[in-house]
Order: sequence, then structure tokens, then C-alpha cells
Amino acid sequence: MSVTDSAAKAASAPTRRQLTTARAIAEGIAQEMERDSGVVVLGEDIGKYGGIFGATGGLLDQFGPQRVLDTPISETAFIGLGTGAAVEGMRPVVELMFADFFGVAMDQIYNHMAKIHFESGGNVKVPMVLMMAAGGGYSDAEQHSQCLWGTFAHLPGMKVVVPSNPADAKGLMISAIRDDNPVVYVFHKGVMGLPWMAKNPRSIGPVPEEPYETPIGKAAVAREGTHATVVTLSLSVHHALDVADQMSAEHGVELEVIDLRSLVPLDRETILASVGKTGHLLVVDEDYRSFGVSGEIAATVAETDPGMLRAPVRRVAVPDVPIPYARSLERAVLPVPDRIRAAARELVGA
Amino acid sequence: MLFPQLSEKDPTAEGVLATWFVSDGDQVASGQLLGEVMVDKAAGEVVAPAAGHVHLLVAEEQIARQGDVIAHVD
Repeated sequence: MSVTDSAAKAASAPTRRQLTTARAIAEGIAQEMERDSGVVVLGEDIGKYGGIFGATGGLLDQFGPQRVLDTPISETAFIGLGTGAAVEGMRPVVELMFADFFGVAMDQIYNHMAKIHFESGGNVKVPMVLMMAAGGGYSDAEQHSQCLWGTFAHLPGMKVVVPSNPADAKGLMISAIRDDNPVVYVFHKGVMGLPWMAKNPRSIGPVPEEPYETPIGKAAVAREGTHATVVTLSLSVHHALDVADQMSAEHGVELEVIDLRSLVPLDRETILASVGKTGHLLVVDEDYRSFGVSGEIAATVAETDPGMLRAPVRRVAVPDVPIPYARSLERAVLPVPDRIRAAARELVGA
Repeated sequence: MLFPQLSEKDPTAEGVLATWFVSDGDQVASGQLLGEVMVDKAAGEVVAPAAGHVHLLVAEEQIARQGDVIAHVD
């Protein structure tokens, strides 16, 4: 069942059970742990604390310390442990905590986890999920605010998924655990519904109670429109939807918002179909601007048929500087609604 | 229903009613997750002790102390 069906079904059901994205992720992991004894969870503070972003809340109580392992601060060791367990046939979910911490463990990630299936000619599989938190907007500065999903997507061998809402977060987690490939699962802290972050109504939503898969590699049309296509992901989907509603009311401009949901594989068809319809493309990405996701999306259109564009492609991304600590400077570099709105108006001449 | 004890050190610690997943007057089931509270950066659950209509006494984002009555079900 696709998530669209599931969400629609949930919406029409008499009780619209709501969850935060964090709880939806934890529920997805718990249901897979019930189904498959090979699913284990490890990482820093994922047990007793429930994950510092709540993505593993309740799992230790439900499944015990044999399957929910709080690890020391030793990313290389426990990502290697996860890779080894996956090679031996288990399905570990490993949390790196902040995506920013990948540097210390990158050899384990991109030389081992991501390459073993290739090196073995597909004979050895690494069915592992590497989960991590991304994104800024709350003054956590240079080493705790990066998205970096473009880096993981750039390096071959890993699938990369980036949910924006609770229903997709659960379905993509279940798909990631069941997938025989290593899957990097990136959640933006701003979509989790965390009590200590700025209130975000789009981080709470109906989530079907039964297990279901959201397909990896399939984007969602989060909002239909005719004048311009906004291709984006994660928290920026929320901002783009807010801007789209406002521009519809104030300017009569209808933006189509594409929620990528997966970066690897990238759903190029959905992007091309939408740009073919609207003739205008704006890419919004909270990762760094150069050599990344936004350039890849623009290249996808340019390589297929630049003639479908009636105006040059626009990009709203983080300029190529580290994320500043100061709130005012951070706002200046993040793809906040004001920047998205300005770029969209410029794009369609509104 | 009381604001749950998240801090053992300080039984009357101040916290925030972070999220209600239900609306005032909703019919709820026993054991249903109704809301989420926070003390410092630790989050806790508010679960319905019985089935019935829920009455929310503390609004989202409002500050409360551990042990405060935050809702009831009848």
C-alpha cells in the first residue's frame, strides 16, 4: 500500500490518530522489531533517553537491552558493529545522532557500509539503516545544523531518504528496514514535532496504525499547481507549502510543490513531468548550494529538455558558508519562507 | 490526569504542555496517547487512564508543574 492510500484511508477513518514525526518513526521501528527478531537498534542515547530527537522513544522498555543498545560515544565502532551485524544477516537501525558527526566515522560509512555489496558482486548484502538528524533554525551553529544529505547522495552505494511528515516518516522507516541495501535515513529536527523546538503544525499528522511501506525513490506531489514547480524536501516542504498558500491568496499564483522524499534513487520522472507542465523550476534545499542536490535537479531538466523551461532555474539553498550561530545570520543563510517567496515571485513575475 | 513526573530530583519541576493530540471534548479510548509534555529537554507521555470524553485544562505551550492536574476524562 502506498502512503498516499494509507494517509487517505487514515483521513477517512472515524478516529484520525495523530502522531508527531518522532513518534511515527519509533512506531515504524517497533513494528518491524515485532515482525523480525533480526531488527536491532543502536546508537548514543537511543535507549534510556529514547533518542535525543525522540526517534527511538519507548523501544528499550518494549524490547529490552539485548535489542536496543546504548553505545559509547564511538561512532566508528558502532557503525562498524552495525555493518558487521548487517553482513551477518541482521537488520540494524543505527543512529548517528547529528548528521554533522559523520566525519569521524566516514570510513565505516562510505568505504564499508556503502561498498561491501558492490565489492562482493552482490553476494554480501548490507541491510542496514543509518539514521541521523539534520538541519538548523535553532541556533545550534556550525557543527550541529548541517543537512549534508547531498553528500550522502553524492557518494555511491547508499539509498538516501528524507521524510517531511509523520506518515511518510513511518512508511519510509519500514521500507528502509526491509530494504536489502544500506539506507541513510535523514530526518530534519524541525519536522519531528519536538517539544523543545519551534512549534510546527505540519510535524503532527494522521498516521495509519498498521505497518505500511512508503516506496523509496518515489516523490510526492505535496500540492498541485500550474504556474511553477517547487522541488524541495524535508522542512523546506513545509515552508514551500506555506508560501504556496500565501501566493495563491495574494497573487493568484499556483505553485506545485514536489516533496522528493528520497534523494537516492531520485524520482526524476515526477520532477520532469511537473516542470513540463509549469515551465518554471525553483529548487529549495537546506543543504549547501554548490555541487549538491539543487544543481542535480537543475541538471536533470537541462539534460532532458532545456526547452521545457520558460525562465531560468532558480535555487534557494544555503550559500557556501558554515551555518552561523547568531540567529540573524542563521536566518540569512537558511531557506526561510521569505527567501522562498522572493525567489518564487521573481520566477513567475508576480 | 496529572502532569507526569519526568524529573525525580525535583518533584514539582516546571514543564511545558507541548502537544495535545486530541481536542477538548473528544471521545478517547483507555490507554490512548493524548499528549506530550516536556521538562527541560525530556519529553513524557500523557495517556488516557480510562475511556470517555476528555477535558483539557492546560493549553498547548502553557507552563505547568509536575503533579498539576492537566486534564480529566469522564
